[in-house]
Amino acid sequence: MKKGTAALYIGMGVLISILTFMLMPAYSQEDIVSLADSALGDRERPAAVFAHEEHNEKAEIEECNVCHHVYKDGNKIEDESSEGQGCSDCHNIKEGYPTRPLMKAYHDLCKACHLENKKGPITCGECHPQN
Amino acid sequence: MHGLYNFVRGPLAWVAFILFFGGILYRLISMLLGARKKDGVVFDYFSLYYGLRSIFHWIIPFANRNSRQRPIFTIVTFAFHICLLAVPILLLAHIILWDESFNISWWNLPDSIADIMAIIVVACCGYFLWRRLTQPEVKFVTFASDYVILAIVAAPFITGFLAYHQWFGYKFMLILHMLSGEVMLAAIPFTRLGHMFYSPFTRAYMGSEFGSVRHAKDW
Ligand code: HEC
Ligand code: HEC
Ligand code: HEC
Ligand code: HEC
Repeated sequence: MKKGTAALYIGMGVLISILTFMLMPAYSQEDIVSLADSALGDRERPAAVFAHEEHNEKAEIEECNVCHHVYKDGNKIEDESSEGQGCSDCHNIKEGYPTRPLMKAYHDLCKACHLENKKGPITCGECHPQN
Repeated sequence: MHGLYNFVRGPLAWVAFILFFGGILYRLISMLLGARKKDGVVFDYFSLYYGLRSIFHWIIPFANRNSRQRPIFTIVTFAFHICLLAVPILLLAHIILWDESFNISWWNLPDSIADIMAIIVVACCGYFLWRRLTQPEVKFVTFASDYVILAIVAAPFITGFLAYHQWFGYKFMLILHMLSGEVMLAAIPFTRLGHMFYSPFTRAYMGSEFGSVRHAKDW
């Protein structure tokens, strides 16, 4: 391989890395199409379908804190929200923490509303579709 | 979908569990009362030590002569019963639903292992079916009801396997799975499937009689 070609490849590699790095922070709720929370550890099921923006538009959910909630002394605070934080920042998978475990937090939040509205998925395979 | 699912998951599941537990209680009580009335000596001879000794020899593979004489049948029945009990109780999806309904949970099998164990149950059912159809000594004592019972046992595992893999119409298969599981639960106390609950008693009695009366082994 010629020296010039090698330098070109290395240069391109560096450029791509920098571009990727710059684009990373732009990742936001608009890009979320499914959830696979790494805090849950080794996975048993495929990622849960959840197209964040589309879902909330279709389901006509106005308030962010329906999901991104804040609690104080066991009561939900109506005019505060926590969208800067992930569910796993508060919902611990370990026992003995005063919040429900993480997987249960997801299932309770998603399913309760779907059951209440008689709309939206409630069975395992609808939320965790294979392939 | 919500309506049908909720009905099968809610009221029908309650009916199945009430029939299951109520039915077992009823059968056990009537068995004990019947024995007291017709066969009072059963209680006189009953011995916890000899009873447990006998159960122990029958519950360990190859610890009794009968099982050593038929090694393949022994391996199949042990694999079958272990998987049959472990899969429904230790399946993650079932535990998630218990947790949702009653806030209780316990250790689960990884889904991939449970998947293989479900295949083992179905394969063993296939073996039992083959025996009934071809082996003269079994064929002779086989009734139509034996095939129905075999189907009742295999159905929840076949449909559960298909629903888990989401083959052939997931939601339909899931409803079939729940229904077939409920049919099996309700059928246990009222068919020969109930042997899981009374066999320890008959075994213990045999053990007591052989142990403390005849001073002989019954395995
Ligand atoms: C139906 C429930 C729901 C509603 C309503 C909702 N979100 Fe989210 N949002 C989620 C879930 C679930 C996640 C993923 C959380 C995680 O990974 O821990 C998320 C993630 C995010 C993230 C990304 C966080 C990150 O770490 O990448 C942002 C930002 C966000 N939501 C903003 C909003 C805003 C703004 C609103 C209101 C307009 C809103 N969300 C409404 C459920 C919801
Ligand atoms: C700032 C911390 C915090 C964040 C972030 C958070 N939660 Fe919670 N959540 C709590 C606390 C505290 C409670 C009350 C204790 C409990 O019930 O677990 C709670 C309660 C809940 C409940 C029970 C609600 C009810 O009506 O009974 C659910 C379900 C839940 N959280 C799901 C989620 C999900 C899903 C996310 C991510 C989108 C999330 N939480 C993010 C702190 C948080
Ligand atoms: C506050 C109520 C609410 C919450 C919380 C909620 N959903 Fe929904 N979801 C809905 C409604 C309503 C629909 C039905 C929308 C429609 O089809 O009109 C829906 C539909 C869906 C659909 C089907 C989307 C489609 O395009 O048909 C998916 C998938 C879904 N939800 C996933 C989730 C997940 C995952 C969560 C938890 C992170 C969640 N939802 C939390 C209300 C909610
Ligand atoms: C309404 C949608 C919804 C339904 C219904 C649902 N889940 Fe989930 N599930 C989620 C979300 C959201 C998460 C958290 C994000 C993720 O997948 O990591 C999750 C996480 C999980 C996890 C932890 C991650 C993993 O793969 O190990 C398991 C296991 C799981 N679900 C199994 C099930 C089973 C079994 C059922 C049926 C009894 C079920 N879920 C029903 C939405 C759902």
